[in-house]
Amino acid sequence: MFENIALAAPELFTLTTMALMMVGTMAGLLAGAIPGFTIAMAVVLVLPFTFTMSPVQGLATMIAVYVGGLSGGLMSGILTGIPGTPSSVATTFDGYPLARSGKPGLALGVGVWSSFFGGVFASVVLMLVAPQLATIGLEFQPVDYFSLVIFALTVTASLAGDQMVKGLMSGLLGLLVATVGADVVFGMPRFTFGFDVMEQGFAFLPVLVGIFAFGRLLADVKSKEKAHQPLGGDTTVVHIDYIGSAKEVFKRWGNALRSSIIGVFVGVLPAAGSTISNILAYDQAKKTSKESDQFGKGSIDGIIAPEAANNATAGGALIVMMALGLPGDIMTAIMLGALLIHDVIPSPSFIADEPKIAYAIFLAFFVANFMMLALQSLTLRGFVMITKVKLYMLTAVILFYCALGMFALNNIGWDMWTLFFFGILGFFMRALGFPIVPLVLGVVLGRIAESRLSQVFARSDDIGVFLSRPWSLFFLMLACFSLLFPLYQKHHGKAAWTRFYPPALLVVMAYPVFLMPGTIRPIVAGLMVVSGLVMAGLEIKRGFVPQENK
Amino acid sequence: MTLNRDFFVAVFFLALSVGMYIASFSLPEPMFGQLASWTWPRIILIPMGLLSLVMMVQSQTNGQGAVHLPDLVAWLRENLNPFICFALFLGFLLTMPVLGMLLGGLLYVFLTLNVLGGWAPRQLALHAGISAVFVFGMWAIFSLVLGVVLPEGTILRVY
Repeated sequence: MFENIALAAPELFTLTTMALMMVGTMAGLLAGAIPGFTIAMAVVLVLPFTFTMSPVQGLATMIAVYVGGLSGGLMSGILTGIPGTPSSVATTFDGYPLARSGKPGLALGVGVWSSFFGGVFASVVLMLVAPQLATIGLEFQPVDYFSLVIFALTVTASLAGDQMVKGLMSGLLGLLVATVGADVVFGMPRFTFGFDVMEQGFAFLPVLVGIFAFGRLLADVKSKEKAHQPLGGDTTVVHIDYIGSAKEVFKRWGNALRSSIIGVFVGVLPAAGSTISNILAYDQAKKTSKESDQFGKGSIDGIIAPEAANNATAGGALIVMMALGLPGDIMTAIMLGALLIHDVIPSPSFIADEPKIAYAIFLAFFVANFMMLALQSLTLRGFVMITKVKLYMLTAVILFYCALGMFALNNIGWDMWTLFFFGILGFFMRALGFPIVPLVLGVVLGRIAESRLSQVFARSDDIGVFLSRPWSLFFLMLACFSLLFPLYQKHHGKAAWTRFYPPALLVVMAYPVFLMPGTIRPIVAGLMVVSGLVMAGLEIKRGFVPQENK
Repeated sequence: MTLNRDFFVAVFFLALSVGMYIASFSLPEPMFGQLASWTWPRIILIPMGLLSLVMMVQSQTNGQGAVHLPDLVAWLRENLNPFICFALFLGFLLTMPVLGMLLGGLLYVFLTLNVLGGWAPRQLALHAGISAVFVFGMWAIFSLVLGVVLPEGTILRVY
């Protein structure tokens, strides 16, 4: 590994490449911060400029834009509550409330450091175990993806809180919305009711921005007094404590590490991406936190989890692209195109055949994270100025920017109408007490779920395959435990059965792990069973005293 | 039976589920043993319908009072600003073919700022400045720098 790094470093660490990466990171930061301007758009715009560069220079610049864009998205998500991309949806859950409570500097600082943590973690994983991890991606078949999406959808149960029925209905409505338009198998119009324009369906970004932008912004301008207040409340001085934010992140290193691992793992699975990872990481952070009741109200853990995960996913997606030639998401698909333009063809032997380019890309990803940290630290103060602007001014301008951005997405006016319709839907659903996040989750994951299900049925009619494939069984079992988790949380310490939830989780989950190929995973399964049994034994020995009586 | 808010919402969702389920019968049959285009929607609609029934039952036990017209009027009055914003945005979209993104955007942002911020002469000047700078600025970035062809509208169309 070190000789490969030594081979790649001189190619990457030139003054020109570093300057290009710096410009790329800044461009990505700005693109990510504008609602409606996607990272993919930014990378595509940069692509033609890289044609005349060397492969290492061109790819390093694009990676810089990618990393910058991922981190730029957190600024609009935290400061305005509108996720610039689906990868920063979960960042808004706690980032925006924390910013509104007069701590925008802390919210942004924590977001930046978490992104950095996730990015650096993924870079290290990239360099150490890229080929080995990529083989896990190869194990995944459509049935496993479908089960993964089902698991991701069960997150709605924990995100719904007390409103379980409304949360599930909101999620199902989101899935239903995703069925409108050309169906994923034959491209036949579905639920268009004679309107040709609806054959395009509802693109998820206008739906996402419509639900969040209108809902958040219009709730802030209900009364004249509120509309004239600045976004950050009456706080006149916005303090950005970089050291304090870093300490908060490193104090919660367990959450950052777990979220980064989730991010890398989801990134390794082709076509899963940060859309799923940020929500899964947020959900796991909420489930394992001792202060889970603070989630949604400005919890720092709620910002760390999605931001560490989405940056780590970028690293995971790069692993698959490099080692297998499979794009993990739209971004790596563009990168793959860039590699092909430079006559570099990724394949399973790519890292061994082209160590200079492969390790230059790993190093570029690593360096881009440091550049992102430095540039965000410099520009954060400027972005925070937005919190001093009066809410009604922000509302008017941002709604226009959203419309413009949504039009530019596909150059069709229908996307602006989608933005409007879902703005109204989101507004009314909020007013009627429905949680909005499951709706968004349903829209984002609906098409992925259906296309994977269609691939399963194209191969076989046997539904037993959902239970016979280890990864599929693993995610379905996890989905069952995930659905039960809100009950566990509600009765924890009050009902005797809750004592056996964690041991049962370990023992039951060991079964699919045991079925997986290789020698390491069956050993891990054995350890899981032993740990589960020991935990159960200790619980029985300790006896049960309800919390009220303690 | 109490005709409260959740009851009406449950009825709406039930009607939606039933209506869409019936609509799914007009979808084409699958070819070559593929997943039919109605399968996935029905997988969604059946639990949605069942949950609507659960919600309907819950609406009778959650202690929510019946909906009265004065409450509805009060709610509408409380949310007047958001409704005006929606109406202005609708106007912006409807006039897009004529005014285009630039003129429409300028008018939309200016009117929204005035409706929410006030119509005093000083505010009018400030709002005009904000509209000009931010709308024209972003329009210029997208259309002149990034080369995105934005709707120009019949007024500014030169050919």
